Amino acid sequence: MRILKLQKNCLFPFLEAISKEAELWAPVAKGDKFAFDRVADFSRIAMNATRTIIPAKKIMVPANFNMFHFTEKGYKEDLSHVTDRILFGVHACDIHGLLTLDKIFTQVYPDPYYLEPRKRTMILGLSCWPDEHCFCKSTHTHIVEEGYDLFFTNLESCFLVWIGSSRGDDLIRLVPDLFDENLTEKDIKTYIQWQAERDNAFKTEIQFVRLPDLMELNYRAPFWEELGAACLACGSCTMVCPTCNCYNVMDKQFLGEKPGQRIRHWDSCTLPEYSEVAGGENFREKKFQRLKLWYTHKLQAYVSKYGKPSCVGCGRCLVTCPVQINVKTVAAALEGQEPEAFWKNLAKEATR
Amino acid sequence: MEKEKLKIGIYELTGCAGDALLIVDCEEELMNIFKAADIESFLMAKSDNRNGELDVALVEGSVSTEKEKEELLDIRRRSKVVVAIGNCACVGGIQAAFLDKKDWEKNFKKVYGTIAFTHTKPAQSKPIDAYIRVDHYLPGCPIGKEQFLSTFARMVGGNPPELYRFPVCVECKWHENDCLLNKDIPCLGPLTLAGCGSVCPDHNIPCFGCWGPTEEANLTSEYHLLLDKGFDLEMIKKRMANYSGTRIAEFFAQFRKEKR
Ligand code: SF4
Ligand code: SF4
Ligand code: SF4
Ligand code: SF4
Repeated sequence: MRILKLQKNCLFPFLEAISKEAELWAPVAKGDKFAFDRVADFSRIAMNATRTIIPAKKIMVPANFNMFHFTEKGYKEDLSHVTDRILFGVHACDIHGLLTLDKIFTQVYPDPYYLEPRKRTMILGLSCWPDEHCFCKSTHTHIVEEGYDLFFTNLESCFLVWIGSSRGDDLIRLVPDLFDENLTEKDIKTYIQWQAERDNAFKTEIQFVRLPDLMELNYRAPFWEELGAACLACGSCTMVCPTCNCYNVMDKQFLGEKPGQRIRHWDSCTLPEYSEVAGGENFREKKFQRLKLWYTHKLQAYVSKYGKPSCVGCGRCLVTCPVQINVKTVAAALEGQEPEAFWKNLAKEATR
Repeated sequence: MEKEKLKIGIYELTGCAGDALLIVDCEEELMNIFKAADIESFLMAKSDNRNGELDVALVEGSVSTEKEKEELLDIRRRSKVVVAIGNCACVGGIQAAFLDKKDWEKNFKKVYGTIAFTHTKPAQSKPIDAYIRVDHYLPGCPIGKEQFLSTFARMVGGNPPELYRFPVCVECKWHENDCLLNKDIPCLGPLTLAGCGSVCPDHNIPCFGCWGPTEEANLTSEYHLLLDKGFDLEMIKKRMANYSGTRIAEFFAQFRKEKR
């Protein structure tokens, strides 16, 4: 792995050069939040963005797309939404999110609709600074060892650029003169200090190692029903989570000669129809059962299969759930605490 | 040999006729609609209407007179499949915004005074499933073109409609909107059936619930959430009742109990 130096004023020229190779996407402001978008005007790029509303998964598996066209005679695959892309500004947690999706979509049942865009998307990571909701240090996803083509660490005076793949190296080779091979001792010191400061900047910490056991011990704890009573079954937590991957397919038909479409769209285990089977039987009819499934998956089951939680500490569920059901408040409840959350207030209200 | 076409009837009970109008407004597809099926009856669009056996009846509007009730029972007898189209047929519409019987009689008097009704006997407005079995519900106020056309196309193709059962929030997140509810704007997205394409939150306007409540709408939680955010109790109740028809009767009964 090579590490190069890039002067701040050389970033745009670099982006200019690489955006001739593929569509450049990066986080831009959306209201007071951020979203990945295609950028031609680089000044739109939010270099100090916090989490985007929807993670980078939307590039690999769009929320809603056509898988194939069909007629009575046969079908024709539709990958027209896939193009060559360079995703710049991907934070460490989101890179880990994609690595998690890789496990799910590429191992047991390789999914061509995931593989194709994944192959055709280059990942250019960018360092970030935690806000009060980030806890990727607790999930050990605040640094990356793999899963990127290039990774930019944004220091005060310059960028340090990690080369993570030969494709990344090819991008550098388009404009090699912009980069400096020789890191000074001062650069190294600055980096080490930056890293230490960032490690200390996390305000949210969760003890994940205890959670699988606590999930088991709390399987019948009363707080699950409190969560269920407050949950709006809106699905938002799963839509925004970088490791949530469930989808549904629907056949759309048209009048006239137009072929049908098989639409694939994001689904959510928090929705009642998710666990309904033919005949109308529902395995998880109650909201608390569905939430328990979600948290079992994130904090316990995934750990026993892959040795780490299926949570990358991005904080999206913390800022998204309108009733504050999220990894932080659920972890607190598992620890026997009374978290500050609407769902807790509602429970108190009900017993008053 | 050509497949036999479905016989379809489109009917309007009490409502604004917006759903029927929307069908007529599907201009580019109108020819295809009439080509794909035998439209036996459609008062807004044609004059030679027959009242025979039907494969599918699309019924708009709520039942608010005795005569409409008879008409509806007759439609059910003649049809293999009945689809409620639009908020009024699905849940009762604004005219059924939940009030209990006593309130209805009081309000009715206030509006109509002591006029004698000779034509038919008025009744408290109700969704069509108060009187007949309904096979499918196509929500909306009015229904959406895209959802109507794909539902129609599926039925013509011999398949049951496939409609979203989840709330507006799902589509809203697909569109990567920053949640209005989290910005203390009283959005009813979590309670409301999706299918409209989350048009209101897409334009920074909170959902008013015009597609009617989902099966599982968590009224209690949203109600307390809005109270917590400092909204006025009457405002919340009105907003929730607007497009929920008779569907949230039980929820409102709880308030009456509290009042006593
Ligand atoms: S569970 Fe929450 S914090 Fe963890 S990855 Fe998903 S959205 Fe992010
Ligand atoms: S936990 Fe929160 S975000 Fe998730 S479905 Fe329930 S209310 Fe919505
Ligand atoms: S803005 Fe409204 S519809 Fe969108 S997620 Fe928030 S509550 Fe749901
Ligand atoms: S009020 Fe709600 S259901 Fe109606 S169009 Fe707007 S977002 Fe859709």
